[in-house]
Amino acid sequence: MPFVRSLSGLSHRTILSGFLLLFAAGLGFWSFVPSALAADPLTIYSGRSERLIKPVLDSFTANTGISVELLSSGTTELVNRLKAEGDRTPADLLITNDAGSLELARMAGLLYPLNMQEVEQAIPTQFRASDNAWIGLSGRFWVVVYNRTMVQPNQVKSLLDLADPKWKNKIAIPNSGSEYLQAGVSIIRATHGDEKTRQFLQGIKINADSQVYQKSSQIVDAVAKGQVALGIVNHYYVYRHLAVQPDAPIAVLIPDQQEGGMGAIMNVAGIGVVKSSKHLDSAKQLVEFLVAQAGQKLFADLDKEYPLRQDVKADPALVERNSFRAATIPLSKLAELREPTLVLIEQVGLR
Amino acid sequence: MTTFRHQLVSPLQLAALAGAGMILLPLGYVTAQALSADPAVWSRLWTTRIPELLFNTVSLAASVAVITLALGVSTAWLITRVEFPGRRLWEGSLVLPLAMPTYVLAYVYSYLLGFGGPVEYLWQLVAGPQSRIFSPHSYWGATLVMALDTFPFVYLLSRSALLSMNVSFEEVARVSGVSRSSTFWRVTLPLMRPSIAAGVALVILYVVSDFGAVSMLRYQTLTYAVFQQMTGRSDNTAASILSLLLVVLALIFLITERWFRQRSRFYQTGGRYRSPERRRYGWFGTSIVTGYLGLIVSAAFALPALLLIQWSVSPEAQATLDSRFFGFFWNSGTLAACAATGGVLIGLPIAYLANRRPTLLNLGCLQAAYAGYVLPGPVAALAVLVLFTKLAPVFYGSVVILIVAYVIHFLPAGLQSLEPALQHMSPNLEEAARTLGLGMRDTWRRVTLPLVRNGFILAWVLMFLQTMKELPATLLLRPVGFDTLAIRVWMEASEEYYQLAAPSALLIVLLSLPALALLVSKDWRAA
Repeated sequence: MPFVRSLSGLSHRTILSGFLLLFAAGLGFWSFVPSALAADPLTIYSGRSERLIKPVLDSFTANTGISVELLSSGTTELVNRLKAEGDRTPADLLITNDAGSLELARMAGLLYPLNMQEVEQAIPTQFRASDNAWIGLSGRFWVVVYNRTMVQPNQVKSLLDLADPKWKNKIAIPNSGSEYLQAGVSIIRATHGDEKTRQFLQGIKINADSQVYQKSSQIVDAVAKGQVALGIVNHYYVYRHLAVQPDAPIAVLIPDQQEGGMGAIMNVAGIGVVKSSKHLDSAKQLVEFLVAQAGQKLFADLDKEYPLRQDVKADPALVERNSFRAATIPLSKLAELREPTLVLIEQVGLR
Repeated sequence: MTTFRHQLVSPLQLAALAGAGMILLPLGYVTAQALSADPAVWSRLWTTRIPELLFNTVSLAASVAVITLALGVSTAWLITRVEFPGRRLWEGSLVLPLAMPTYVLAYVYSYLLGFGGPVEYLWQLVAGPQSRIFSPHSYWGATLVMALDTFPFVYLLSRSALLSMNVSFEEVARVSGVSRSSTFWRVTLPLMRPSIAAGVALVILYVVSDFGAVSMLRYQTLTYAVFQQMTGRSDNTAASILSLLLVVLALIFLITERWFRQRSRFYQTGGRYRSPERRRYGWFGTSIVTGYLGLIVSAAFALPALLLIQWSVSPEAQATLDSRFFGFFWNSGTLAACAATGGVLIGLPIAYLANRRPTLLNLGCLQAAYAGYVLPGPVAALAVLVLFTKLAPVFYGSVVILIVAYVIHFLPAGLQSLEPALQHMSPNLEEAARTLGLGMRDTWRRVTLPLVRNGFILAWVLMFLQTMKELPATLLLRPVGFDTLAIRVWMEASEEYYQLAAPSALLIVLLSLPALALLVSKDWRAA
């Protein structure tokens, strides 16, 4: 052990006090430094991945000089964390990819209702909480991605068609922990009832078998490679894939548009100010930045989503928003639908 | 009576009790939460998830055990019983896979064996353009990765057994006319049995508590399910029920391992040591042996390491080597240093008292400190989380809670180095120094400390490096702005940005090598 031997030249006291010093210095570092710096940066808990949110925040910092600390993690995990941290939370804002999670956070009293003209003018009421405790920023649709060499677009009309045994081993689905799967299933339940939803879930469970993914980008990848023929994903993953690999044989199919159909399942990414935030002014500034025209364009385009502001155009590569219809279940209902949905998902035994 | 009172008031005793309490309390809380859960939740889990999870976990452990058994024993036998060029080099390099965290090996293999990956490409050249190989995201994928990563445990213990075995037993068998292969099956193998069993139990313990590989390969085990429950549900009841099952399962294997390890001790001390005779093979045999070892070492270490290097020098990866990257490195380093220091400070009174004053209470504290072995990362995180939200919510979301989770999780590794160091420290030595005229302080400085110092350093380094590559607890408990290297690997690799994950992964592997050297040097000379 040459490493140990080289240390044995040091006196014992140096080593022991070295240990103690390191420990004390470490503890001191964390207990004092953050509070000393706490005056300035905004702390953001984000369920949206760092890759997709950091550029927007960097642009905010460049514009306003307000720096931002970011913790990117799972949405539910972050809401749990906010609950547990209570008033001591360092977080000033919560960004998630799911309106249901924001509504749950609002119902738990974690969010601060905003009274801002800018918000009310920019974002239509159906994409905000009743008291503006959370505000939708961009829209996303739960769609079917298909491999053009393996599937004809007329073979699938509804999401429920994917439960058909003919797609055995041909579909890929997200895992049951993902909030947008939970939101999607909630909307199917609210439209079609529990029994039909259960059959749907059992069908896709069997059809997908081991093709259950943590990340939607992997689903699109699997479809592009022809590993599976179809996948259920949020629309933007398809366009992000196509932006990097324009020749990939994949396309988006917006389901449930038939006569009397449910309509495409929509969800929003949104933001809420944390009730105990000590930087209310800076936090409001960020919200203002994100609902302004430039911010909306930036936020939506980075992830190839639909801006919620009517006067901002979506990325031209996307399917024209007016050409299809969305499901009519209000977003705020996603919260109360969540728990029974989770029970159903668990009963079916989705991974 | 006076001694009893004396023990209670001693500050050392208090420190040991506090340390043991810190470790047992969280476990107790999780157990209580699981047992007090609504029976409806239990029955729902029993009818839906638990049978599948138990089956997956146990069958993965079983297949990995069989494969590591074959790999570990065969490599150990070749190294100790056959002479061939470069034998010493192979002897050392068979340990290298232990420097690869499972999540790194898993992500390399999900690229190698993935759909449209290089292995499939080669296979299609042979078997036709439409043929497919097995998916890495499956039972067999998880088995392969876990087996390649853990077979060195069996190798190390089998190697020690083969080196320390009294060769006369085998010689007697040969003299009595038993063939070489019969001797192996009827004499050598039965003598190695306790060591092999200890190694396999260690492997199983590792598999059962692994989070990295199963999460990368999306293979549902209990440990992975605990993590998913914690991150996907708003209450922790189901997570604590699954945790309790996991703890019980791990406990079974820990006890098995302990039991076999004790039995393996007893013959190793007997018999006079003589190094075994090594056979030489012809060029054909030699090249088969070298090819076999080469295949294993390249699959488990060399090939993945080369890929990591290749990815790390790619322009995409180079672009990430900015000040943020060094921030992650710094976070990893400081967190690990704090956890290692905390571990030594907490482990010391416990180990000292258990060795110097082995009362029932002190031995109990020591056993409690080993509880970390049966607390896989997500469970340790859950335990600490539940405890802190109940008792000291002030620390929630701070770095303290993360360090406590690390200490609980890795204290057993530290104690294994602290304990022997303290056992060396026989009171006689100090007494002798005193009778020879040294003062108290000089005795402490010149006798006691030099005896225990190396054990301390070893314990510190081991805990430091284990913390450095820890993944699940860090994911669940990290404070704002505290991403570590392991977190970066996981974030990038789970979205299949292989190049971007490579520099952090490579750094973790490189930093693990010295710890491995320390770990192995303890066991290296077996006799």
